[in-house]
Amino acid sequence: MVDETSARVTNPQPAPPGALREFWDSFSENRGAVVGLFILLAIGLMAIFADFIAPYSPIEQYRGFTKLPPVWDARGNWDFILGTDALGRDMLSRLIHGARISLFIGIMVMAVSMVVGVVLGLVSAFAGDFVDSVIMRIMDLIMAIPSLVLAIVIVAVLGPSLTNTIVAVTVVYLPNYVRLVRGSAMTELGKDYVTAARVVGVGRLRLMFKTVLPNCMAPLLVQATLGVSNAILEAAGLGFLGLGAQPPLAEWGSMLADSREFILSDPWIVTLPGLAILITVVSINLLGDGLRDALDPPAQEGVRGMQDVK
Amino acid sequence: MLKYFLRRLVLTLPTFLALMFVTFMMIRLVPGDPIEARIGERGISPERLEQLRREMGLDQSVWKQFGDYVWNVLHGDLGTSLVSHEKVLTEFLTLFPATVELSLAAMLFAVILGIPAGVIAAVKRGSAFDHGVMGASVVGFSMPIFWWGLLLIMVVSVGLGLTPVSGRIDPIAYYFPSVTGFMLIDSLLSGQDGAFADALRHLILPTIVLGTVPLAVIARITRSSMLEVLSEDYVRTARAKGLSPFRVVGLHALRNAMIPVVTSIGLQVGTLLAGAVLTETIFSWPGVGKWLIESIGRRDYPALQGGIMLISSIVIVVNLVVDLLYGVINPRLRHGR
Repeated sequence: MVDETSARVTNPQPAPPGALREFWDSFSENRGAVVGLFILLAIGLMAIFADFIAPYSPIEQYRGFTKLPPVWDARGNWDFILGTDALGRDMLSRLIHGARISLFIGIMVMAVSMVVGVVLGLVSAFAGDFVDSVIMRIMDLIMAIPSLVLAIVIVAVLGPSLTNTIVAVTVVYLPNYVRLVRGSAMTELGKDYVTAARVVGVGRLRLMFKTVLPNCMAPLLVQATLGVSNAILEAAGLGFLGLGAQPPLAEWGSMLADSREFILSDPWIVTLPGLAILITVVSINLLGDGLRDALDPPAQEGVRGMQDVK
Repeated sequence: MLKYFLRRLVLTLPTFLALMFVTFMMIRLVPGDPIEARIGERGISPERLEQLRREMGLDQSVWKQFGDYVWNVLHGDLGTSLVSHEKVLTEFLTLFPATVELSLAAMLFAVILGIPAGVIAAVKRGSAFDHGVMGASVVGFSMPIFWWGLLLIMVVSVGLGLTPVSGRIDPIAYYFPSVTGFMLIDSLLSGQDGAFADALRHLILPTIVLGTVPLAVIARITRSSMLEVLSEDYVRTARAKGLSPFRVVGLHALRNAMIPVVTSIGLQVGTLLAGAVLTETIFSWPGVGKWLIESIGRRDYPALQGGIMLISSIVIVVNLVVDLLYGVINPRLRHGR
């Protein structure tokens, strides 16, 4: 994990490259990450321009063409390239529009939990003692309840909908951000430049957001990337259980749930939405791995319970 | 060391209290009156309603109610299911072994495959095997397991006819009383021919589905931890002394490389229980995950409340034990502070 970057440091160069250039050089060494980035860009463009790319409306039902197989099947029809579902809706159009919903959920969850997580984490690190304990105990509690179970409970209380899916998944993933920001902020707080800034009389808010926060960004960025993929998976899981986006919305998880009964007769209706989820999540995770290697923050995987112990 | 233990222990108490508060509030936040939910749509007289409110303690102040709830929970009374009219705790305990059996099998599957894969990938770094393991682990880590389950049913159960589609055992061919709640053990105890094999065949697909994400995580962590340890001075010393590569890797490196792996295995108990909700739903596995989802569908809030309380308590306790074990196996934490 560490070695690719050390090569870069020892290589003497006449003029130091720009930060972005340097980042890209070490990022692009990881071929998987670059592939992930490009697939993700393609999916992102597909989601943005879904209305222009999708051949049909995702909710229009073509009653004469129900459960049509994809074109590579002998019974396939070029009018519906990936076939149709049980209600005669075009699979390709639904998958394209589904990308929009899944990415929207993923990015919203990431953005909200990152903003809230940064604020809570910094407050926790700066306020110390009582406030810190309260915030951290709440985070402990959230982490004690298995993620999907917690999300299910929140949706059960609020009622199933796209918005509530986002709320539920945000709450579930909040502790990761809070703990991460708090942990790295605590490390930074002990360093000389913070003491120097304090001595000079830098105000508290400025100290939190302008002095310390930028130095916590690298691990946060990696966490945010992986957070998007986790959120997409979690939301799809909720959709699969019938607790996420409600019909007729073309959400990948609920598309899977709707087609469960056709698993024997028409397997492609089940296969395609899952494949879409998998490809999206894999490419985001590849991207996250690349970012991790390129930014080289301290390894975070697997030891989430440790930062709190003093 | 004792101080560390006590500190962790004390830190858990507020979490438990908060957990009780959240589960207590939950039932009050759900839309609808708990009594109306219970009596259904027929309706009852105002006097009877008043009486029921008093019986359930709903006429008391919220804090008194919360106090009673904590008291009851501490005495093992988690309420009664609205649907089966059984004690929630009893119902949970009947179903829990099924979840434990599945989770243990999944963890075993993940550990047995994941640790060797990670070690070999680290030792043969950059080889085709390494790339294969890393690639597979990214896919496994990203797997929507509900789809993975359906896919496996489609190919293995339906296509090849190798395993049954759902349940823990064939209920028509075999019937025996539940002794331990663990189907593998019960089927052996029953002495019926083929019962154990049948139970095992039912377990295979759910195990693979539930074990996929932990397998990917364990393989990854083992690999990166192993790589780190292999670059340490003492490993080089061991190599320089002329120890066989097998001894260096297997004895010197592996022991230290295992610390983060063991931690992550412990912390994945929560993940397993969460994954079990989906896996049990797909395979109609009669465990607590499926029961929770069904409780939501049936609006059986006492069951939901009690179930979440119990599952979360288990996760809290397991995480605590993992933290304490971490203190035991990591000497730095034991002496350093």
